[in-house]
Amino acid sequence: MTALIKLDKVTFSYTGDPKDPHPALKDITLQFHEGEFAVILGANGSGKTTLARHLNGLLLPTLGRVLVTNLDTRDRSYHGIIRQRVGMVFQHPEDQIVATTVEEDVAFGPENLGLPPSEIRQRVDAAIEAVGLEAHRHRPPHMLSSGQMQRLALAGVLAMRPRVVVFDEATTMLDPAGRRMALALMAELRASGMAVLFVTHNMEEAALADRAVVLSEGSVVFDGAPRELFTRQSLEDWGLEPPPVVELGGRLRRLFPHLPEDLLTVEELLGSLPSPQRPCEPPEHRVDGGTDQQGREWVIEVQGLNHTYMLGTPLAHQALQNASLQVAAGRAHALVGVTGSGKSTLLQHLNGILRPQEGKVRVGPFQLDDPTVSTRQVVRLAGLVMQNPESQFFEQFVGDEIAYGPRQLGCDEPLASRVRWAMEQVGLDFLAFKDRFTDTLSGGEKRKVALASILAIKPRFLLLDEPTAGLDPRSRKEILLTLRRMVSEGMEIVLSSHQMEDVAMLAHDLTAFRKGRNALQGLAAEVFWQFEAVRELGLEPPVAALVAARLRTLGWGVPSRVVTAEMLMDHLERCVEVQGEPV
Amino acid sequence: MSQFEFLRSIPFGQYLPVGSFLHRLDPRARMVAFTVIVLALTFSRSLVGLLIGCAVVLVGLRVGKIPYRFAFRGLLPPLPFLFLLAILQVFLNVSSPDESILAVIGPVRITPSDLAAGAKLLIRFTGLILAIGLATYTISTAEMTQGLNIMFQPLAKMGFPAQDLVMMVQVTLRFLPMLAQTAERIAKSQASRGADWDSRPGNIIARVRQVIPVVVPLFLSSLHRAENMALAMDARAYGSSTQRTSLVELRLKAVDGLLLGISFLTGAAILVF
Repeated sequence: MTALIKLDKVTFSYTGDPKDPHPALKDITLQFHEGEFAVILGANGSGKTTLARHLNGLLLPTLGRVLVTNLDTRDRSYHGIIRQRVGMVFQHPEDQIVATTVEEDVAFGPENLGLPPSEIRQRVDAAIEAVGLEAHRHRPPHMLSSGQMQRLALAGVLAMRPRVVVFDEATTMLDPAGRRMALALMAELRASGMAVLFVTHNMEEAALADRAVVLSEGSVVFDGAPRELFTRQSLEDWGLEPPPVVELGGRLRRLFPHLPEDLLTVEELLGSLPSPQRPCEPPEHRVDGGTDQQGREWVIEVQGLNHTYMLGTPLAHQALQNASLQVAAGRAHALVGVTGSGKSTLLQHLNGILRPQEGKVRVGPFQLDDPTVSTRQVVRLAGLVMQNPESQFFEQFVGDEIAYGPRQLGCDEPLASRVRWAMEQVGLDFLAFKDRFTDTLSGGEKRKVALASILAIKPRFLLLDEPTAGLDPRSRKEILLTLRRMVSEGMEIVLSSHQMEDVAMLAHDLTAFRKGRNALQGLAAEVFWQFEAVRELGLEPPVAALVAARLRTLGWGVPSRVVTAEMLMDHLERCVEVQGEPV
Repeated sequence: MSQFEFLRSIPFGQYLPVGSFLHRLDPRARMVAFTVIVLALTFSRSLVGLLIGCAVVLVGLRVGKIPYRFAFRGLLPPLPFLFLLAILQVFLNVSSPDESILAVIGPVRITPSDLAAGAKLLIRFTGLILAIGLATYTISTAEMTQGLNIMFQPLAKMGFPAQDLVMMVQVTLRFLPMLAQTAERIAKSQASRGADWDSRPGNIIARVRQVIPVVVPLFLSSLHRAENMALAMDARAYGSSTQRTSLVELRLKAVDGLLLGISFLTGAAILVF
């Protein structure tokens, strides 16, 4: 293998000062080769995006040098050819699209290279086909889903015929189906001989690579196989978390000591589970609350709801079709489905900022098709934390941002004490954070501020649209623990998610949507055990449920409808006592 | 209830790829033709000419497969201002003293030519808005940049930064729908935290007060986006070759000539009648 990109003692400081005591990159020497698939890992602020931007000369090293196919990136006359050879796909799909139709955007790179029109046409067609956007070639980009936009961004890079594609957190904003598609595309690129460098904090995706490079505080702290990486104790010091499969494997190893240490995928884990000494007939499980749906009080009811965006224009598209939903008092309810299945549209109806075009929506005492019901009444009752809420911050200071709601809607106590209460709820220190600028916060802190800004209204219902999307593993865990505490305190929550592990942890009931129509509904634990149906929706059942199902077929007395690692371990410990050590 | 669908009420900057006959013509021909009609509508002094202009634009919308209802929506926001201007025009118009007087309001005498002046103003702007709308629905940004590029070539030879200018136009047009969507998100998130978007304030000051809290964060997020987009453009080798080429190759055909001919004839008709 020949070196495609060479980093030679690269130090980089955003101030440009070579003596900066805290440079973003510290003395990095690395090589990336033709045709390899490597991931670059690291917590937020570890320097991984800074590193990625050195690979095509977007940033130039303060000290040291970067060679791309032996061309020094500091020589600006090479930039055209370097950027042709090193393609880059960024995190935010919509910000990297320049033109107003798909086809024209794909042509942008080749046009910049000064290729003849016939050659551009050929490359554009090939690239659009490679990412499967043929049907959309004349559409405007703002009418694409985020997954489609990310594919478009990749097509724009492929049309330049690069030797390596760098994905800079390019899957963070995608749902599982979008991620799977992106990963499949990466595999295809590799098969065609292209190298793939993937900057990510998703550890499941990291497991698929041949090589993992870990950055911590601007230095390379690990360079080797992902399998080896996940056995390292220092993973946590670097701000990383093992993927759920590896974590569950680690827990199971306490009961099954012979389980291999380097399990990476769900298949490997399922394949190495042992049988018990004394197999038994797996028991049926009685779920709390039972399946009897009588006697329940519905606090939110939606019936026959239709919603069409851009109604009356040639760009109209229907987001909800005859959708229905029933949320029971005192329970947490999840809306699941891939991007574009109508979850956000439905949540915005429950919040009163969208009103039914057709059908009925009742939230608590309010009928939302009644024009005399004001939006302010509804938002006070049902607070909505929107998707990627931090992109909609409009105040400069954390305290003001959180105080906005109660200031608008009125508050029966001093504003400061309400803000303090809301911040305590999400685990933010009032004095330390109230005067911070919102745009200097980390991703996880921003999400907490967004959550606090809704809690400060003291709504009865909390509506959450993809509460953990785009967060790194550690922040995600913190948000989930906060939400779980609220659920256990009896807060009535409706959340949308395409992360089934999150739903398993938080929700009692579940309604699944496909293309704006109801697809599945029932108790979350029951729905999750319909593995095929869940996969058909483009979602992944929780790992714990898959493991539990496999254990049952092996003869362990694990009940069905187990969906979290905690539940699984509880049951399994009892089983091991009764059924003996694994064979 | 669609008070948040800003995108819906901003028809400008929205190319509609419906693939009509008009869409397939040479973009340069279309740009020249629309320019001629727009100029003619701007400078015409006769009612009949303006009506001919509007009729031609309406035919153009039909040929371009643009639904009338969609096109007319672009007229709604400026309509109150247009009426105000038209009324002012009626009052301020200076007519010759020997005209017959239709009505007297205070010190002002209304004559038929005053009314005609008001009507002309209304028709002129209706025609202009529809014509500019038609141009944006049927000319995609790539076609426009391509067309502009070729038309600017003589200027570029004289050292004028024509390519960068054209790119600026293109990125601006890409940003318009993005801005509308961002504004929509910010307005929604403010409304869902209690900002009052239910009432449609009648007076302008209240309306402005409703909009200002959206504008500031919108501006900040646009700066952020512009930064991201600049990076993405750099990463795709923008500016690294002196001669940009284009996906679309342009050759004038007979029908394009026909379009030009029609536009010049109607332009003349609008001005002469």
